[in-house]
Amino acid sequence: MNGVVLPVVLPLLAAFLMQPLAHKSGVTARLLGPLVLAIGLAMLVQTWHLAQTDPFTVTFGGFAPPLGIVFYVDRLALIFAIAAQLFTLLLWGWSMDAQFDGEKKAREDALMLLLAASATGLALSGDLFNVYVFYELMAVSSFGLVVLKDTGPAQIATLRYLLISAFGSVIALLGIAFLYAQTGTLNLAQLGELAPKALHGPAGLAAFAFMLIGFGVKAELFPVNTWVPEVYAVAPARIAGLLAGLISKLAALVVLRLLVVVYQDTPAPQLLLVLGTLTVLVGDFSAWRSKDFPRMISYSSIAQLGLVFIGFSIPGPLGVLAGLSVALHHLLIKSGMFMLATRWSGSLDRLAGCAKSAPVATGLYLLFALSLVGVPPMPGFWAKLLIMTGLAQEGSVVYLVALGVVLLGSIVKVHYLFRFALKLYGRADLPPVRHSLMELGPAALIGIAIIAATIFTVPIGERLRAVAEQAADRDAYISTVFPDHKTAAVSEDRR
Amino acid sequence: MIHLDYVTILYVGAIGLLAIGAAGLVICNNFFRILLALVVLEAGANLLLVLMGYRGDAKAPILGFGPDGAQMVDPIPQTLVLTAIVIGVAVQALAVSILVRVFRSYGTLDIRELKARFEHDIAVEMGIEPPRGGEAPAGGRIQSSGPPNFRPPESHS
Repeated sequence: MNGVVLPVVLPLLAAFLMQPLAHKSGVTARLLGPLVLAIGLAMLVQTWHLAQTDPFTVTFGGFAPPLGIVFYVDRLALIFAIAAQLFTLLLWGWSMDAQFDGEKKAREDALMLLLAASATGLALSGDLFNVYVFYELMAVSSFGLVVLKDTGPAQIATLRYLLISAFGSVIALLGIAFLYAQTGTLNLAQLGELAPKALHGPAGLAAFAFMLIGFGVKAELFPVNTWVPEVYAVAPARIAGLLAGLISKLAALVVLRLLVVVYQDTPAPQLLLVLGTLTVLVGDFSAWRSKDFPRMISYSSIAQLGLVFIGFSIPGPLGVLAGLSVALHHLLIKSGMFMLATRWSGSLDRLAGCAKSAPVATGLYLLFALSLVGVPPMPGFWAKLLIMTGLAQEGSVVYLVALGVVLLGSIVKVHYLFRFALKLYGRADLPPVRHSLMELGPAALIGIAIIAATIFTVPIGERLRAVAEQAADRDAYISTVFPDHKTAAVSEDRR
Repeated sequence: MIHLDYVTILYVGAIGLLAIGAAGLVICNNFFRILLALVVLEAGANLLLVLMGYRGDAKAPILGFGPDGAQMVDPIPQTLVLTAIVIGVAVQALAVSILVRVFRSYGTLDIRELKARFEHDIAVEMGIEPPRGGEAPAGGRIQSSGPPNFRPPESHS
C-alpha cells in the first residue's frame, strides 16, 4: 500500500529539503530530485500487479471512506501516476551550463518535484476536495516553472495564465460547493451512489458545467484556453512539453472520473462533446495560421485535447478507450515535439533547410507528424480510428457533426504539419540549428517508444481495452470504496 | 412579503460578491484591478461554501458553543473554506509579485498596451513580422510607449 502513497509524499518532502541541501552541497541537491522520482517510479510499477485484477483503495489516518480521505488505485490511475513520474524525469532540467547557479537550479528542481507529486496525487485521489487541492498545487508550481526565464514576455504570459487559472479555480470551487450543497459529501464514490437521485437534475448539471470550465483551464478546453499559445511560446520548451503533455491530461482525467462515476446517463457528455468539437476547430485552424514552430505545436496540442474530450464524451468503455489512447499518444508525441522546439524556437521560415544540418531531429519530427496525423500503421491512426468508430456508432446528429469536424481537423493538420516538413527539406538560407545531445535524447527515446507501439499495437491495444473497461465500471468504483454498500448500489442501478 | 432573515441576506451578499467579481473581470483594463476583482470573486465563492453548511439556530462545531441540545453546524465546509482561503492567499501573493515584475519591465499594467507590447516582443524573438496596423489598438499609445527604434526584422536573403 505504501507503494502508492510514498511516490506522492517523497517528492513533496524532497522539494522542501531542496533549498537547505543546496546550501550544503550543490551536487547532492541536484541528484536528489531524479533519485526520488526514480524510486517513486519503481514503487508505482511494482504496484501495477496489485491493481491488475481488482482496483483497491488506500485510506488515510484510519478513518473509513466517507469521512476519511482515500486514494483510489485502478490501472487508469496508475498509468497516469507512472506517467507523471516518468515524464518529469524525462524532461528534467539536466543541463549543467557554464553559468551554473546552484541555488536557482535548486529552486527549479523543487518546483519540478512539487509538480510531479501533485500530478501523482491528482491521478490517485478519490475525493473531490483533494483533487482540488492537488490541482491548485500543480497550478502554483507550474506558474513558477513558466516564469523561470524571467523575461518581460514570460512575465506577462505567466500573469495572464495565473489570472485565468485562478478564475478557473474559483469556478471549479463553486461547482464543488454546488455538489456539496446537494449531496453533503465530496467522496467521489458516494457522489456516484447519490448521483441518480440528487445530481441528475439541472442543478447537478450546472455543477458539472462549472467544474468542466474550472478544470478545463489546465485541460486547454475551448473557452478558457487563450493562455496556451502565449505560455508555450515563452516558457522553456521542456516546461511547455510537460504542461502540454502531462498536466493537461491529468486535468482531463479529473473530468473523465466525474463523467464516469457521477454523470453517467445524463446530458453531461453532450456538453463535453460540443466544447471538445469547438476546441478541435479552434486549435487546428489557429495552428494552420501560425507562423512559428512553438505556437504551431501549442495550437495543435489544443486540437488534440479537443479530440480527447470528444473521445471521453462517447458513452461506455469504448469512449474511455478512445479518449485514453488519444491522450497517451499525445502525451508521448507532444513531449517529443517540444523537446525539438528547444532549438527550433523561431519562425517556420527561419528553420528552412534544417533537414541537411539536423537529419535526426528532422527524422523525429517526421515520425511524430506522421503519427499525429494518423497514417495507418502508426499508433495515432488506431487512436483516431477508435474515436471515429465510436462517434459513428452513436449515430445522433451531434456525434456525426463531431465526426465531420474530426475529419476536417485531420485534413487541416496534414496541411500545416507537412507544409513545415517541406520547408525543412527546402533551401537553407540561414546557418543551421543543432540540437544538443541532452535535448535530442528524450525526443529519440520517445521516437523509439512510438516505433515500439507501432510494432506491438495488438498487445498494447488489448491491455488498454482492459484498463478502459475497468475504468468505465461505475459499480466497481463504488463497491471498491464501500464494500458494505455493494448490494444496495448494484440493485438500485439495475432497476 | 418575503421574510428576510440574516441567512438569506448572507446568501444575497455572497451572490452579489460573485456578480461584482465577475463584472470586474470583464470590465477592468488594468491587471491590478482584475486581480482585485478575482479576490472579490473568491470571497463570494468562499462565503457561499460556508453558507452551504450553516444553520442559524445550531451550535458551533466540535467546541459546542451555543444553545444546549441544538444541532451542530456542518464543520466540513468550514474546513474546506479554510484550505481554499490559504490557497487563494498564496496564489494572490504570487500574482502580486509577478505584477511588480511586469511593472518594472514595462512601466504599465494596462492590458491592451501590454498585449500589444507582448505580441511585438514575441514576434521579434521568433523572427516573424510583428503584427501592425489593424490589430494594434487605435490611438498613439503604442508609438509613445513602444520600443523607441522599431525596425522590421532583417530579411535573410
